Amino acid sequence: MSSDNIIEHIFTPFQESINSEQDVREEIRNIMKDIEKSLREIVTTLQIIHRTLNGEEISAACFTARSLFNVVQKGFEKLDSVIPEGQYYRYNDHWRYATQRLCFLAALVVFLEKGFLVDKVTTAQILGLHEKSRIHLDLEDYLMGLLNLATELARFAVNSVTFGDYSRPLQISKFVAELNAGFRLLNLKNDSLRKRFDALKYDVKKIEEVVYDLTLRGLVPNSGGGEAVE
Amino acid sequence: MSRNRGGKHGRNKPTVGEKGRQVVESIDENNPVIKMFLAFRQELDDKHDRFEKIVKHSRDITIENKRIIFLLHSTNTDVESKKQVVLEEANTRLKQIFEKNFRAVALLLKGFDSYQYQKAYTSGLQEFIEALVFYQYLTSGSFEKWDNINKSFQYMDNGDSISLLFPQIDYILGIADFTGELMRRCINDLGVGNTNDCFKTCNMVKHIYSGFLGIINPGNKELGRKTYVIKQSLAKMELVCYNIQIRGSEIPKHMLLNVIESTDVNTEDDEGYYH
Repeated sequence: MSSDNIIEHIFTPFQESINSEQDVREEIRNIMKDIEKSLREIVTTLQIIHRTLNGEEISAACFTARSLFNVVQKGFEKLDSVIPEGQYYRYNDHWRYATQRLCFLAALVVFLEKGFLVDKVTTAQILGLHEKSRIHLDLEDYLMGLLNLATELARFAVNSVTFGDYSRPLQISKFVAELNAGFRLLNLKNDSLRKRFDALKYDVKKIEEVVYDLTLRGLVPNSGGGEAVE
Repeated sequence: MSRNRGGKHGRNKPTVGEKGRQVVESIDENNPVIKMFLAFRQELDDKHDRFEKIVKHSRDITIENKRIIFLLHSTNTDVESKKQVVLEEANTRLKQIFEKNFRAVALLLKGFDSYQYQKAYTSGLQEFIEALVFYQYLTSGSFEKWDNINKSFQYMDNGDSISLLFPQIDYILGIADFTGELMRRCINDLGVGNTNDCFKTCNMVKHIYSGFLGIINPGNKELGRKTYVIKQSLAKMELVCYNIQIRGSEIPKHMLLNVIESTDVNTEDDEGYYH
């Protein structure tokens, strides 16, 4: 190759590779727009938990959220067909944040329905990322979602008390304490997950304060304060 | 998200309080949440370890390539036999990197999504391309296409063929760094009075620079930054050629360098490679 055909041999193929990459990204962006639309709807739907004590309303919200997750699943199904084989991490910037939010929402729905911590496989199933050929649920995204859940639950604890539900904060307290204990087992690198985890203690503290306020006033159900020692 | 809202909670950083500690202590190894997180710990540790190992290899690759580039600059001599010896050695060392270090990276990535770990070895890869292309240029006056080099990143492991991910962008950025070496080479050529090569080298960089100007790649800052560096290198080289042309007949060739250095060519701003 002489210096005269450098453009033809080096830069033209490079530009072509950029162009085809941009095409893929464009397709991904379009799919993500739909997924993010459902995401926002789930977020607003579930905000009902901060406004009502009515169990039926909350169940209905969970039900709506579930059906919106079905739409999300279809979106990820489409995404799975667009990502080239083995290139998940080349493009995952496009869906990382949305996936984290969706993990949070899935975990919140399962918490509201069943009261336990959703595992990773179930989360992947709810999102429609389970056993796909080219996309999957990243562990870090799932964990990020759980940390977001803790923040939401701290707020939920406060608002439950406002509506006179004094047992909810105890449930949340136990739940988040376990979550916290779990996170403490991880060796986190100095990355975004680590930073987000560092904020977990503020959520834990908030919830503890709520429980403390209830205990102090003998408002804890089942022979005041008994629950706290267990 | 301001969590620490000052006021009554602002003084101390909260830790896990009494209640929390009780719960944490009461949780045993059989708790499903704990079990789950122990598995996560394993997965995260594996990933971090693999990443760090690759970074280490990448660093070794970078250092060795800088040495090779330094070595290649010493081919700027009239003694043909010495030149051949140096090129021979550079070739051997480049092959070593290829066979040893990159092979190790490829093995670490076997069965994994290489893009996940690409950041760990991208700098080593670019440095390697810079050295390789420089070597090829010195031996043949040209260098290989991405296709060809990419095809050679192919290793055998227990009968399995594994290929190392070699993104085209790393090739292009390696070429960009290579022009810095050409600039240095061009000025050294002038120093030893080898003015014909100055024009040849300058011409090569002109072509590469036009290529970079033609790239449209939104969102890649690195590319823009490097294009700017090429522009600066090229300006120096063009000034060298200009001076050769205009003053070449006035003073002995080996003195031309002094003339140019006394004007505004700054040959000292390499990237700290030669220390």
